[in-house]
Amino acid sequence: MKYLTYILRNARRNPVRTGLTVASTAICLFLMMILLSFFAMNEEATKASRAYNRIIVMNANGFAGMVPVARVRQVAAMDGVAAATAFSWYGGKYQNERALFAQFAADADSVFDVLDEFKVPPDQLADFKANKDGAVIGRKLAQDLKLKVGDSLPLQGDIYPVDLKLNVRGIYDGSSRSDLRMCIFHYEYLDELLKQVSMASSGGSLATSSSQRSGNAGMVFVKCKAADSTAPLCRKIDDEYRSTEFPTRTQTEEAFGQMFSEMLGDLKDTIYWIGGAVVISLLFVAGNAMAMAMRERTTEVAVLKAIGFTKGLVLLLVLSEAVLVAGFGGALGSLGCKALCEAVDMSQFTGGMLPFFYVPWNTALIGLGVSFFVGLASGLAPAALAANASVIDGLRKVV
Amino acid sequence: MIPFKYNVRNLRVRWKTTLMTVVGTALLVASSCILFGLVEGLEHSLKVSGDPLDLIILRKGATAETTGGFEGKKADELLTLGGILRDADGPVGAKELLNIAVAERNAKTFNNLIIRGVQPASRKLRPDFKIVAGRDFEPGKGECIVSRSIARLYKGGQVGGQLVFGEKEKYRVVGVFTAGGSSAESEVWADLKDVERNTGRDGSVSCVQIRAADPKAFDQLRKDIEDGTQFRLAAIPESTYFAGQSESSLFLKGAGTLIAVLLTFGAMFAAANTMFSAVKSRTREIGTMRALGFSRGDVLFCFLGESVLLSLLGGALGLLATLPMSFLSIETSNFNTFASVTINFRFGPLVMAVALIMTLVMGLFGGMIPALRAVRLEVISALREL
Repeated sequence: MKYLTYILRNARRNPVRTGLTVASTAICLFLMMILLSFFAMNEEATKASRAYNRIIVMNANGFAGMVPVARVRQVAAMDGVAAATAFSWYGGKYQNERALFAQFAADADSVFDVLDEFKVPPDQLADFKANKDGAVIGRKLAQDLKLKVGDSLPLQGDIYPVDLKLNVRGIYDGSSRSDLRMCIFHYEYLDELLKQVSMASSGGSLATSSSQRSGNAGMVFVKCKAADSTAPLCRKIDDEYRSTEFPTRTQTEEAFGQMFSEMLGDLKDTIYWIGGAVVISLLFVAGNAMAMAMRERTTEVAVLKAIGFTKGLVLLLVLSEAVLVAGFGGALGSLGCKALCEAVDMSQFTGGMLPFFYVPWNTALIGLGVSFFVGLASGLAPAALAANASVIDGLRKVV
Repeated sequence: MIPFKYNVRNLRVRWKTTLMTVVGTALLVASSCILFGLVEGLEHSLKVSGDPLDLIILRKGATAETTGGFEGKKADELLTLGGILRDADGPVGAKELLNIAVAERNAKTFNNLIIRGVQPASRKLRPDFKIVAGRDFEPGKGECIVSRSIARLYKGGQVGGQLVFGEKEKYRVVGVFTAGGSSAESEVWADLKDVERNTGRDGSVSCVQIRAADPKAFDQLRKDIEDGTQFRLAAIPESTYFAGQSESSLFLKGAGTLIAVLLTFGAMFAAANTMFSAVKSRTREIGTMRALGFSRGDVLFCFLGESVLLSLLGGALGLLATLPMSFLSIETSNFNTFASVTINFRFGPLVMAVALIMTLVMGLFGGMIPALRAVRLEVISALREL
């Protein structure tokens, strides 16, 4: 510790160089935080969903398949089930444009018992339940679209050949780390409209012809009473419907979320490779700066060694300087990114691709770790050279 | 003017610093180029269309083939319309039925694949449709052909294998096809009848694709299909349709731009760092040059030139590093359709523009402040420096 002042002085000796190294490290780490958070955040949110004890029933064949709506009642009646709701993806257009928010048809009576982390004011909830054309939207969606309770929210069908004339009856709120950009409306409303459409006129493929007609629950979201009943319930539901016309694939909400991140496929690896390339290039940049600093100080290092500093100590001094500079840049980049994402809601700039965005703590810590590694690795060569430099040559050299 | 040779020699003399800076920036330029190469690949696959006379017919209000179904009866009537191009086999038009189903990758992960039930003419409607391995499927036998990436990545996707989508939907893979880099290269193709039977969707189609005989027939067909009381469907020119689909690349493009901008800044500081110490270690030289009569402008130009040269080396090396990427293709999901999409890396104008812009910005802005510092040096005190 007694050398700390010396190390700090050295680091500040060429403020421009140190500043530039810090800046390039900070920027690269900032970028890395954004890339890593994209995956880490999804994973964290997925894992966190375990707390809600929810399972999701879908057709064994994927989103395109049908889950008959009668099953919502059957599943809700099973032992260990607290509540169940249909959850059917509508995917319509808003104001003639592809809507950048999720729209789900659900059972008005039970949907907020299943998604109980979302809070709707009781009077608004009652109003929503009482009105067939009612919709409840998330707080952030309300902000994005400048909607308030009482406004109309017309949606045009894209997957389904029917248009909806919804009215906002309530606005739900919840943790900023959950999806506050959904629109939830009455399943019956959609189903009745579909019954009026001639059966033959359907046939898109996000839904099979049978599922495009009325009576398809889409998915069933199930709230279990206890954590230990989720896995057995998944098995029980799948066994129940195995040999029916519409076999199901039931999984916990966590597994359901993982399925989406699996869908990213190779994109994930590509992003990690780019992150790796950034770290390696940082090594070159920081190593270069450190090497330049040491070259200027050849005489000084020789003097240090002449007055009795050991090789190890010189090595340590140089390494600490490198770690300090890179670590400072890394802290600035990773913690700065975290702070920025806490202060500003980045998700509104992703055009609906991400309902929320934040930098998880462990990702920020990984960033700090990376910058320490960059400091160590980039300081190693200059430090070894300085430690092994000949005292006589160093003193003789004129820089 | 100070000869350019002077800069080249300088870079050579401090070759270690030069190399480190060049490798560092090359990696950053390469990273951005790879990203933009993928964006360009995605846009290409969404924009390729067979022929300017091709029309895609969907249910009114639908925006994509995956969602725009209508009755098979109407589709049959459509194919009898007059203006459709005809060849020896009949009209160049096809009913197509799409299904999206979960399939398992070799890596034990899952994704949704598009299974397209096609008719013989579907092949003529795709640019450069070619079987590259195995053979084309025979109708009614439960056979399918797949794109290269599906053959590589999916369980049972190889020729001779079997793709399984649940109990009822199974197809034996008999061949691998390419289609000029179009979006078809993310799909499984099977016989229309097989798909109808397997999905229980007799009597409905997702879309009809037709090619008009000539531009006049093209306009007439659109009018008949869109406004005629008989159909009331949407007839969308293929190029318009795919331009609309390429929305889905916007997010990737935005993310890529952000990454490239940040990386450029990172590399800019690295270049500046190198140039600062170049100026510092050459203080006396600069003094000498000024004393010899070179103007301030000459010195500024000299150092800027050296900085640009330095980053050009990095940019060129970075571009070079992306060359083997031409063989790279990645598979991910199009979150508009929730189905698999294959992106081939494409080395095109976008990639080169990114490399060039990054390089110039790095060189010019990174070198500007050090160069200005060199210009401001007092001749006398510079000469006095050790």
